[in-house]
Amino acid sequence: MKTLLSTTAALLIAGTAYAADLGDTSEPIKLAINEWTGQHVTTHVAGEMLKAAGYEVEYVTAGMLNQFQAIADGDITATLEIWSSNVSDDYAKKVEEGTIVEIGDLGLDAKEGLAYPAHVAELCPGLPAWEALKDCAGVFATAETLPMGRLVDYPADWGTPGAERMAGFGLPFKAVPAGSEGALITELRAATEKKSPLFIVFWQPHWAMSAYDVQFVDVPVGTDECFNDASWGPNPDATMDCGFSPTRIFKAAWSGTEEKWPAAYEILSNYQLAVEDAQPMMGAIDVDGGAVEEVVAEWMAANEAKWKPVVDAATK
Amino acid sequence: MTTLDAVDSTPWGLSPKLLAAVVALLTGAICLLLQPYAPWLFAFPAGWTVPATEWVGTTLEVVLNAIKPTMRLFSAAIAYPMEWANIALAGTPWPVVIGTVTAIGWHLGGWRMGLLGFVGFLFVLLSGYWEESMNTLSLVVVSVPLAMILGGLIGLLANEIPRLRAALLVALDAMQTIPTFAYLTPLLLLFGFGPVVGLVASAIYAAPPMARNVILGLERVEPEVKEAGVMSGATRFQQLFLVEIPAASRQIMVGVNQCLMAALSMVIIAAVIGGFDDIGWEVLLTMRKAQFGQAFLAGLVIVTFAIVIDRMSARLALERKRFDARISWGLFAAGVAGAILLWLTGVSAPPEGIFGGVADSVDTALGDFTAANGASLDSVKNNAMFYGLLPLRIGLDEAVLPFTWGFQWTSSMSLWLFVAAGLGGALLALTGRPVAGALLLIAVGILETGIANLPWPFVLVGAAALAWLAQGPRFALVVTALLATILISGLWERALLSLYLSGAAVAACAVVGGALGLLAAISPMAWRVLRPICDMLQTIPLFVFLIPVLMFFQIGEFSAFLAICAYAIVPMIRYTQAGIVSTPPELLEAATASGASQTQTLLDVRLPYATPVILLGLNQTILYAFAMLVIAALIGTTGLGQSIYLALGQADVGLGVSAGAAMAILAFIADRLVQGFAEERRKALGLA
Repeated sequence: MKTLLSTTAALLIAGTAYAADLGDTSEPIKLAINEWTGQHVTTHVAGEMLKAAGYEVEYVTAGMLNQFQAIADGDITATLEIWSSNVSDDYAKKVEEGTIVEIGDLGLDAKEGLAYPAHVAELCPGLPAWEALKDCAGVFATAETLPMGRLVDYPADWGTPGAERMAGFGLPFKAVPAGSEGALITELRAATEKKSPLFIVFWQPHWAMSAYDVQFVDVPVGTDECFNDASWGPNPDATMDCGFSPTRIFKAAWSGTEEKWPAAYEILSNYQLAVEDAQPMMGAIDVDGGAVEEVVAEWMAANEAKWKPVVDAATK
Repeated sequence: MTTLDAVDSTPWGLSPKLLAAVVALLTGAICLLLQPYAPWLFAFPAGWTVPATEWVGTTLEVVLNAIKPTMRLFSAAIAYPMEWANIALAGTPWPVVIGTVTAIGWHLGGWRMGLLGFVGFLFVLLSGYWEESMNTLSLVVVSVPLAMILGGLIGLLANEIPRLRAALLVALDAMQTIPTFAYLTPLLLLFGFGPVVGLVASAIYAAPPMARNVILGLERVEPEVKEAGVMSGATRFQQLFLVEIPAASRQIMVGVNQCLMAALSMVIIAAVIGGFDDIGWEVLLTMRKAQFGQAFLAGLVIVTFAIVIDRMSARLALERKRFDARISWGLFAAGVAGAILLWLTGVSAPPEGIFGGVADSVDTALGDFTAANGASLDSVKNNAMFYGLLPLRIGLDEAVLPFTWGFQWTSSMSLWLFVAAGLGGALLALTGRPVAGALLLIAVGILETGIANLPWPFVLVGAAALAWLAQGPRFALVVTALLATILISGLWERALLSLYLSGAAVAACAVVGGALGLLAAISPMAWRVLRPICDMLQTIPLFVFLIPVLMFFQIGEFSAFLAICAYAIVPMIRYTQAGIVSTPPELLEAATASGASQTQTLLDVRLPYATPVILLGLNQTILYAFAMLVIAALIGTTGLGQSIYLALGQADVGLGVSAGAAMAILAFIADRLVQGFAEERRKALGLA
């Protein structure tokens, strides 16, 4: 019965002029909702664009690391905010298999680096210059790291960029892996409440950047020369004496998407979202307590010029 | 005949215990002496390990791909009942759901149960998480029957084919101790993305309690009852289903209750995978933002379900009395009437949460507390680290430094320490306690070296010696073989770190939990306070407690230690209390009659009598501590738990399963050791 209905629906749609481009609108396009607010904003904006084009959209909660199997199977159509710094090896495998395709950059300008909540500048004068950290490692020392200072690094499964930087700059800090994003945020919150020292690896766009007034340490820009050539940079004996390699944030979709929903595939491929647009929406949700649907709807209404052309180009 | 009698005659006329202690001691001493010449005794050389995790990975991949199509079919089939349950629960107007729960509560346990159901579900409604909660409940509704069938089948199989029994019991242990995160990647591959994976994971975890209770129940069926069945000419099938299972139904219902609780505790794992907008996902999101109040509120919804389901299913299992069904129908009708009324007034959607303000202020209070007590919290942590955890991990020789203890540890201090310990040991030996003397020396040696730096031959020999004492020579062989597997698979260092962290937590839980249990046994008032706390600690997703622990003590071992203790202390309290309270009245009367004081009765009658039960509690504490290691890895520990997350991130099936298996091996050994000693105590008391 269900197949019969959808066949009829497909026939009806095939009769109209532009709808062939849309593909199978009887079945909802499923977009992955991961664990962080920024991704919710990214995904809801894309979802609303697809709805405007005439699709039915379903938001499916999915663990960031576990979602790729679902996309490979077509259970989820697309995921719209993958960070190159934090993508599971599973993704590469699935792309190689041909079950997942990458569909371009999101255009979100990300930055990662060594960071600290603003009040720490008073505890370690000389910040944000990285050289200041040489002399105030003692300020950041804790029971586990004595006599070295403590750097809260990314969870081990995201890699250990902090530890590599400490070795690169020759700073007397021991990198402690955080274990989870929640643990990183809790560290930031506790340090801000207690006005205690904290040296951490962090990234933007993230709502906590403004909520806890997080500042980046000034370091030389990360380049390939620095990563490969020890003599480059302030420390002549080591690589990695510079910032992080720029993070790419990109989108990926199930490989059958283009065939099934050609217009949606085009919209999702061309979809981009800038930090200036995303970060205020994140703040409106996480700091002011707004609902993601409302915040996104408000932005969509006010910024039609930013998304309408992408939808129109694909459907008309 | 106990295992100890079996190894009674040993060379040189030493008692078995002394022999075991001396062998372990000698191994340790030799390793320490040889340290400068043979560093490989301490750090197992990487060249001797085999790429076992890769082998496991490759083998599993072949197997998984072979059975994948079948499993996908199963996955598709199970998605239907899941969807129906979801439609039924989420689609039913909330007044009807609340009315039904109240009606069931009344039917099972009168007005008290009815009220419990009503208030509990009303709280869920007012929390504002109604829809998410119903999604969670529909997962439980499907996973529990699945777990019951699986557990029931395993139980029957173990009962019918005694030869399979030992193997099945080991399988049950593995199902309970291998952390779910370790096999999440293969499950995703097999069953595809979505709630089915969570369902299968929770069925795997919830089946063992069911199976164990089925086995126990069938074992305890009175021989007369069985004979009556045989005499009336029943076939084995009739005998089983018409006679034995009904006779064992009480015990089996206890299994159902335990199965329900286990399934609920896995809700959070289902959320980690996603695909399902449930209450666990809500906990994860708030946890990620470090919002303690909100995470706690969402966690309390799960606790509420757990308490309502636990109390009602316990009633179902233990009480035969049922209350008037007509009132139940009345309550149900009231729910329907409420729904119609709401529908007529046009407000059928569940209300917004009313506890948002409370959650916010809890959250603010946590922040203020941290801000106000930062310095004292830091000093608590530093003291615990400097004088407790660090020496235990890396030994006095490395932990005692000018900026921790105020002076530098030297090798002459080590020497003096060993001389003092040697004198103490000799004194104990001369006064007739040679075993205690040898143990003292071993303890000092471990403290000086640190658990993470223990030489591997010592760990192998020591564990084997303990195993010999607890269960006999065969078990000693098994233990050695299992530990050697970890050793050559290259996970040894991480395993020692895990052992240290859970060991420290278990020791702390045994002391503090034992004391609290004792207090609860003496004072009913204290038990009334402790019991709901125990209930909550066992059912709330522990992620919730990571936030305050982290706020107070930051990322690191001390926080992980506390998080593990918070969970693992519960069985220690419960079993100690239960063991002491359940001393038979005849024994107490006899003690009173012979003029024993309260304290004497407690120390000489109640405590010895309760020892087997307390040891069982310790056993559970050990298993819980290992189970929490994985969660503790979320706040930055470096043992096997971290390997499991690494494997999850890299979709490395081999590493995940191997690290999970290593954890299960450690838990298995600890479990069997304690069980062996508990059995011995029971025999000594004439209870077995």
